[in-house]
Amino acid sequence: MAKILFINPVVREEDDPRHVPYGIALLAAIAMRDGHQVQVYDENAWRKGPEILKQVCNADRWDVIALGGITTAYGSIKNIVRIARDECPQALIVLGGGVLTSLPREMMGFLPQVDVGVIGEGFITLPEILQKVDAGEHDWENVDGTISRNSDGGLVISAQRALLEDLDSLPYPAWDLFPLEEVYFPNSQVLFSEEGMLAKRRLDINASYGCSLVCRYCYHLGIAGDMKYAPDANNELQVSFDEPGNYSRSIRYHSPEYIVGLVKHAYEKYNLDFVGFLDENLMTMDQYSKRTWLKEICRLWKENGLQPTCIRDGVEHDEHCRGVHWSGTSHATLCNPETLKIMREAGCSHLIYGYESFSPHVMKTIGKGATPKTNMRSFFWTLESGIRPIPNQIIGFPNEDFQAIYENMDAWKKLGIVVKPFFATAYPGSEWFTTYRNWIVEQYDGDLEKYIQDLGDATRITAVISHNFNAVELLGLRELMMNFDYKRIEEYEQYWRRNHNIPDGAPSTIFQDPVKNKAKKAANIRLAAGNSGSH
Amino acid sequence: MSDLLKGNFDTAKPVVDNSEDGQTLEQRFEKEALKKLGGSIAFVAKQEVVWGDEDAEQDD
Ligand code: B12
Ligand code: SF4
Repeated sequence: MAKILFINPVVREEDDPRHVPYGIALLAAIAMRDGHQVQVYDENAWRKGPEILKQVCNADRWDVIALGGITTAYGSIKNIVRIARDECPQALIVLGGGVLTSLPREMMGFLPQVDVGVIGEGFITLPEILQKVDAGEHDWENVDGTISRNSDGGLVISAQRALLEDLDSLPYPAWDLFPLEEVYFPNSQVLFSEEGMLAKRRLDINASYGCSLVCRYCYHLGIAGDMKYAPDANNELQVSFDEPGNYSRSIRYHSPEYIVGLVKHAYEKYNLDFVGFLDENLMTMDQYSKRTWLKEICRLWKENGLQPTCIRDGVEHDEHCRGVHWSGTSHATLCNPETLKIMREAGCSHLIYGYESFSPHVMKTIGKGATPKTNMRSFFWTLESGIRPIPNQIIGFPNEDFQAIYENMDAWKKLGIVVKPFFATAYPGSEWFTTYRNWIVEQYDGDLEKYIQDLGDATRITAVISHNFNAVELLGLRELMMNFDYKRIEEYEQYWRRNHNIPDGAPSTIFQDPVKNKAKKAANIRLAAGNSGSH
Repeated sequence: MSDLLKGNFDTAKPVVDNSEDGQTLEQRFEKEALKKLGGSIAFVAKQEVVWGDEDAEQDD
């Protein structure tokens, strides 16, 4: 059987490692289930640098070195595959995850050390690759869901891999192969709620795949039915994602029995006190299941003795509390008060809401399926249920203007929201990456790899997709917004209007919809890019 | 099974980490200071310093 080394690359280097990589933990469990010899080196957890990585590569004769992660892990992945190729010339290097999936051809070009890329879901593709390794075969084009190199060095994309339907057939993640006691449990704290702050033994679980919304800046890793394959003019297969007017989704979720069974197993084995649900949008699943899914999870949570004792006894949470608190993601329009109340009863401490904006004309363009009204309604429903809503905000949307800025500040003031907003960022795989790709790459001197290397948290500025504001303006405006400095923003608005020849009273915008107005797109983009030079 | 590598079999060679926690005290300090950067929290990234700057060495 194959000897496989999984490496988890570094992500969000500026913070402590806080999340066991759920996908790699599942893939490692699958490989062990199939009888392979498996080791995991969690570079993100240990952060030991190249010398230890070299030792890891030489610790055995690896048949396969497998790694993957989100787009922002690219820099670390690039370093790892270089070392892995030098130290282990015999090993098959396999790369998967969101980073490869969003740009398969480009990534294989940037990373010549990678032999096989796994596009999208790895649950069936990776075991099939390992079978081939055992059989001494290399015909990757016969393994669906891969990208590989032919003998001329050209790239070959095999047929699209079908998504796994029976999610409950997955084994539990191989958490034991990660440094839980050494690294992850000491970093359990999540500063989203009182219970999250006191968490000492947290693990994360992904209970569902997919989201019914079509936010233009969002990317679903090709594991949410969001990926499409089609031949191009040269009859070469190309992979694409959400595009204007062309969306696809597949909604899948584990049964409540699987989820609660997994939590109970982890509670008994690791003495957990907190579970973070990684799901993109728990409320999509709830709506899709006709409001049965979350209710049933909560019922089983209590039935299995996982309800936190502080909630059961109606006392303030403290370190003596037993049971498991949890958190997840919600959606302004899809949640309802009844479900929220049931969730709180079962121990839900906080829910992340991608409210993004409180400006009606901005919200209309972002694909969120929400309005300022549903944002506010869900905010109060959640607070009333006893759950903390985490109100994420984004500025710098394509049509963001002064009006939107004031509307956001007004809402933050009214709702007591303390926030440092993200900047609208078009990660590869998102609709806005497709729409604005040329402009984005222009901002990096035509070098796509430079853009990818620059991507990190969207709290940092990278490529701007706002038509009205350049990077300097966005940074300044965010700072002033956080201080509710209406006066300075209004003064700047006057200056901005003079610069753009927009009279008082007219909308403070030069936005033209690039989709509706495709013919004018190039001119439009030039106009916006010109902004940066004008101040 | 070594600490850094975790798996379902014993590797041919162990992985030995001789550093304290992989980071020097200097690296640890600079990382912590960076998290709180702002106002009076400013620091010198010692590895980035360019020594022998001519302007600084002129003693007029
Ligand atoms: C946990 C998480 C993180 C963790 C990091 C996790 C990690 N170790 O990589 C943290 C908190 C650091 C994080 C940060 C961010 N994240 Co995040 N995150 C997630 C989250 C919630 C769960 C990921 C997960 O475990 N999914 C479930 C598992 C099963 O999927 P998976 O890991 O992708 O694995 C599958 C495949 O991709 C593939 N695969 C993965 N790895 C490998 C390896 C091999 C060898 C193979 C063969 C296959 C393979 O096979 C697996 C099974 O099918 C997802 C949302 C979601 N539910 O997916 C967002 C998500 C990945 N994050 C996202 C974003 C936008 C961000 C941020 C940019 C947001 C921000 N704050 O600005 C930051 C970036 C931070 C930074 N500076 O780098 C986006 C997409 C990002 C992208 N372009 O890749 C997602 C999809 C959320 C969303 N819908 O917007 N994130
Ligand atoms: S609701 Fe969240 S997960 Fe769904 S598309 Fe929008 S940002 Fe992405």
